[in-house]
Amino acid sequence: MDYSLLIPEVVLFVWALVLLLYNASAKTENPRAIGLFALIGLVAAFVILWFVPDGSLFGKTFISDTYARGFKMIFLLAAIVTVIGSVDFASKHMKHTGEFYSLIMLCVTGMMFLASAGELISLYVALELSTISLYILAAFLKKDLKSTEAGLKYLILGAASSGILLYGLSLLYGLTGSTVLDEIGYRLFLNEGTTIAAVFAIVMFVAGFGFKLAAAPFHMWAPDVYEGAPTPVTAFLSVASKAAGLVAFVRLFFNSLLAIKPEWVVIVEIVAILAMVVGNVVALLQKNIKRMLAYSSIAQVGYVLVALSAGIDLSVTSMMIFLLAYLFANIGAFIVVIAFSNATGSDNIEDYSGLWKRKPSLAIVMTIYMLSLVGIPLTGGFIAKYFLFGAAVKEGLYTLVVIAILTSVISLFYYMNVVRIMMFRPAPSADKIALPWMIKLGLAISVIMVLLIGIWPGPFYAWGQLASTIFHF
Amino acid sequence: MDYGYGLIGIFILFGIVFVIFTIFFAGLLRPQRPNKTKLENYECGEAPMGGAWIQYNVGFYIYALIFVIFDVEVVFLFPWAVAFKQLGLFALIEMLIFIAILIAGLAYAWKKGALTWES
Amino acid sequence: MNEPALLHFLILGAILFACGIFGLLTRRNAIGILMSIELMFNAAAVNFVAFAKYVAPQAMAGQIFAVFIITVAAAEAAVGLAIVMLLYRNFKGIEVDKINFMKW
Repeated sequence: MDYSLLIPEVVLFVWALVLLLYNASAKTENPRAIGLFALIGLVAAFVILWFVPDGSLFGKTFISDTYARGFKMIFLLAAIVTVIGSVDFASKHMKHTGEFYSLIMLCVTGMMFLASAGELISLYVALELSTISLYILAAFLKKDLKSTEAGLKYLILGAASSGILLYGLSLLYGLTGSTVLDEIGYRLFLNEGTTIAAVFAIVMFVAGFGFKLAAAPFHMWAPDVYEGAPTPVTAFLSVASKAAGLVAFVRLFFNSLLAIKPEWVVIVEIVAILAMVVGNVVALLQKNIKRMLAYSSIAQVGYVLVALSAGIDLSVTSMMIFLLAYLFANIGAFIVVIAFSNATGSDNIEDYSGLWKRKPSLAIVMTIYMLSLVGIPLTGGFIAKYFLFGAAVKEGLYTLVVIAILTSVISLFYYMNVVRIMMFRPAPSADKIALPWMIKLGLAISVIMVLLIGIWPGPFYAWGQLASTIFHF
Repeated sequence: MDYGYGLIGIFILFGIVFVIFTIFFAGLLRPQRPNKTKLENYECGEAPMGGAWIQYNVGFYIYALIFVIFDVEVVFLFPWAVAFKQLGLFALIEMLIFIAILIAGLAYAWKKGALTWES
Repeated sequence: MNEPALLHFLILGAILFACGIFGLLTRRNAIGILMSIELMFNAAAVNFVAFAKYVAPQAMAGQIFAVFIITVAAAEAAVGLAIVMLLYRNFKGIEVDKINFMKW
């Protein structure tokens, strides 16, 4: 047994515990020092991850393969960029910074175990570790009514959805008599025909993971939680929670349930269409930028599901590229929201008017993020959408692709509305907005990565393709 | 003869009927002379202080939350203890790590003052 | 009466699950909702133990899964109760239909 496979997770976990205990015994707290400490831990885990070989532990309970490591990089990058962008917010609005950062690290640890889970028990426990940490993070501003409400809604709907998912897992276990994903796939392949219980289990998986992904019709929690939760948490949640849902969803469906693909592909297609339509249409009506980004994230996950219903290796490749591009564009946009609300105390889209006059650089980077979320060429979003829709076209899913393109056109209106307000409306006040250097760093990393993926997609495509090689289509 | 679970059913039935029977007949036989002292809440023979439907101190909830977690984690110790001899040193080390993590949690709660009573 | 078979346990699990879903949808008290969710977890645990005995008796995975479900449910309940306490402090009540600041 090669325990070195576990080093990144163990480093992160121990780091989180040390931070928690040190912070509990310290007399005063210094949010910047704590944030930097958390950042070092995350970066250390990211660096170690590069040297982790392939392999599996405890009889396939823990698998380290290219797919798992690819997703672990996504989780760690999301946490790194979020932590960089959140230090300023934390020192201004938060008590208990130590707990905040150690919860983020524990959440990432859970997600990393989830990416490596090759077995139902470890999959479930890892999923719960990441979700329970997120419930606490959503309710983190104890005195804030909105944050409390967000925590409650997330908790109730999240726990209910994991209950449904768990019931589905129990049916799958009953059908196959195994909890190992490969074994389940093999036995489902041997069983001729599908039973009604399998269909029930699939419906429950789609409902349970649909919640994690915030895909319509399981998206009801998303706008409220995104609006109410502290903005750095929203930034992390919007990317990492979706990626965590996708990593488990894809491993379960493409590894274990591939034998009964005709049964689930229709359900996934319906969810994809609903997510794209609901997300893009309702986003048009939003006045609060965090709510607008919530609906946009619902729409974005719809595009991923379009590619996934194709069920080929390009689906996985394009999903990886998409997540990377979406990570930097979305967290970048949320860092702009953090910077703006720290300066003005507002999250309303209307109040962004004249940002071009008050802080040109902030307006420009926000425009780049918005262009990437729409999918304009030369940004990462374009490459992501190109491959996502390419996967669907390759399998002849033309209806889905047409709907995806039409709803993308709708999305142009609300993303460009933000740009129009920032650039062409007069500024309500001439006050300049100052940016702390940590926020500048976060914005710069995101912009560079968004443009890099858009201009030079080669290495990222190769990385995504490597991750897709573990599936046997 | 194999009664299966039927025997338990008979016991349950008997238990229910017995309780109803005794309460009913005791009510018929006893004299009915209630007074104020008799109708008070029973607090182990002490003179009662206020009603039972009061708001409890928040401190109780924090104790309860900590108790729930530590109480339930013991469920992992039982199977380990039963199979201790077959599992050997490796499982012992694993269990020590597990308990160390729990102790870290306890230390955190302690440092945060969750275990000191504030009134 | 015969010995209870797999079907009986599955029906028990299904009834528990249905009770949980029903409670989740009809309860207005946050504690009641948390209890309903616990019922759903326990329904799945019953299923796992039953399948472990009747479908895969040689492997322990189903029973171990039930143990993990119990502990995870406890962790979830602890976090849930903490959030409900927070709710009580901020809103002076735990009726969930009154807690609705944010609307689309």
